[in-house]
Amino acid sequence: MKKTVVRLLALVMVLSLALLGAGCSSSNKKGELVIFSWADYIDPDLLKEFTASTGIEINYNYFNSEEEMLSKLEAVDGGEYDIVIASDYIINIARKENLLKEIDKSKVPNYENLNEDYLNQYYDPEGKYTIPYVAGTPLIVYDPSRVTCQITGYGSLWDESLKDQIVVMDHMRNVIGFTLKSMGYSLNEQDPEVIAKAGEKLLALKPNIRALDGDTPHEKLISGECTVGYIFTSQVSAVLSERPDFKVVYPEEGMGFGIDSLFMPANAPHEDAALQFMNFLCDPEISARASVFTQYINCNKAATQYLPEEFLNNQAVNIPADILGDIEFMQDISSEATEQMNEIWNTFKQS
Amino acid sequence: MLGKPNAAKGGKKRVISPTVWPLYIWTALFVALPLVYVVTISFLKKDEIWGVTNQFTLGNYLSLFDPVYLKVFGQSFLVAVSTTALTLLIGYPFAYFTAKFSPAVRSFIILLLMAPFWVNSLLRLNGWIILLKANGPVNELLMRLGLAQEPLKLLYNGGAMMLGMVYALLPFMITSIYNSVEKLDWSVIEAARDLGASPAKAFFTVTVPLTVPGIVAGCVLVFVPSMGLFFISDLLGGAKSLLLGNLIKNELMQARNWPMGATLSIAMLLFTFAFIGIYKRVTGEKTLGGIK
Repeated sequence: MKKTVVRLLALVMVLSLALLGAGCSSSNKKGELVIFSWADYIDPDLLKEFTASTGIEINYNYFNSEEEMLSKLEAVDGGEYDIVIASDYIINIARKENLLKEIDKSKVPNYENLNEDYLNQYYDPEGKYTIPYVAGTPLIVYDPSRVTCQITGYGSLWDESLKDQIVVMDHMRNVIGFTLKSMGYSLNEQDPEVIAKAGEKLLALKPNIRALDGDTPHEKLISGECTVGYIFTSQVSAVLSERPDFKVVYPEEGMGFGIDSLFMPANAPHEDAALQFMNFLCDPEISARASVFTQYINCNKAATQYLPEEFLNNQAVNIPADILGDIEFMQDISSEATEQMNEIWNTFKQS
Repeated sequence: MLGKPNAAKGGKKRVISPTVWPLYIWTALFVALPLVYVVTISFLKKDEIWGVTNQFTLGNYLSLFDPVYLKVFGQSFLVAVSTTALTLLIGYPFAYFTAKFSPAVRSFIILLLMAPFWVNSLLRLNGWIILLKANGPVNELLMRLGLAQEPLKLLYNGGAMMLGMVYALLPFMITSIYNSVEKLDWSVIEAARDLGASPAKAFFTVTVPLTVPGIVAGCVLVFVPSMGLFFISDLLGGAKSLLLGNLIKNELMQARNWPMGATLSIAMLLFTFAFIGIYKRVTGEKTLGGIK
């Protein structure tokens, strides 16, 4: 009796495994596109429309951090995934590790709609591998009814009246970066003496920090937990939509900048589908909808006419070029500088 | 485990039944191999941009003695000890009185205790955030009652973090002690009372010593994970303090220093083994209070 039960169970297991295998292979036949990005970073409606018009099934995989993405990509030797959307600095590393595949532009005719300002940047100087998806710059927002000091830039965050009030992203490079900026240096400063000075200055900021949060800082601002935030573009939009009375500050010391782009991993299994998808996202109307969904800066010059008024009036996603001024990308720095910053960051958090 | 009955039956040689092979293969593939990988990486040098080189170094282990890392170890240890002490303080009376109820009531109480833990712990911690945030119900109530003029800062401090730690780990303490108390021979305590011991004296000289295995097992089960939990300090503590778990996460995800992350993980593992070793020494038990 017992043996029969065991055999039965074994049979069930084998069968379910077989079914699992069958499930995978059947979706392969129709044409498939495997996307790898942050959760909820592409409007699900757009994905559905793409499938409806091309018949290509989309398999959306997500990562929680870009370091995780690159580790996985390296583990599968640039295969498995067809489209990855990630930030400039990690794409730069992926390029140096030979994990990118060149884009056949003749199959992406909508490429010409893109705004040249966002093309051929440091992570892809010849514009061979990437297509900008959206861009953004972290900004300072504050509640004018509860903040008594003048906030004009990063330097203002050290004001004594802001004790236990500020939320900033839980991100080493960004936080040390704005400290460097407040002292008049570059985000990517590598001089050990300067970094050490920035470290000392950063420690003095700790009493003003109410929380470090890169995922949901907007909620802390909306609920009134914090009165000042240094947060990402889409989070600024989220704050403004709930609390229009909040003020946005374009830091006077200059702004950091980032572009999230699409790329194909070196051994992407479905190249044709990936190129079709790239072309789809470069369509002006689709691109406009993608920006509205993500609440990031649009990189498509033909899309402006499709952007709703509300989006164009949003200070976080529509920054006039003259105000944007000299933007600076956060780039990879030497191993020694990273190590030094990491020590500063650990001391800062531990203090 | 499987060898003994076989040996007793026919005096056959000890044979590992094919039915346990999957377990061995599973353990080798998903426990032993990754551990070997982690140990290996901890002796390698970090690559300039990404990943590791194949150069051998002891530097990672030497940098464990950096003041920052030592402070983090100290702080984590302190948090873990306080969490253990608090859960014991709350958990012991809870388990003790639960075990005194009738069996039906007992199992109902244990069910109530365990039910919330079927829900993901991140969701439950977010529940605390909703309760305690500036415009949340707790602050609302305090202000309505006139106990606070403006919203109190209940979140993102050490207290909120401790609340989260105790909340998350309390069931481990309660169930361990409950298991011990439930098996108590109450007639021994009655005998102590008959011989003139006051209730307090009977409790401290008879009940407590008899439940020591449960207490120690509970302490191990709470102490060990509280050294490594990182999301509680991130969510409720505002990510402002650095515990061992956060440090490992930072090394891997932000500093991209895998060797250091691996080294810290190994250090934590050794620390945990040492703690369990002390437990075995103290109690003379070979298993964790029945949890093998």
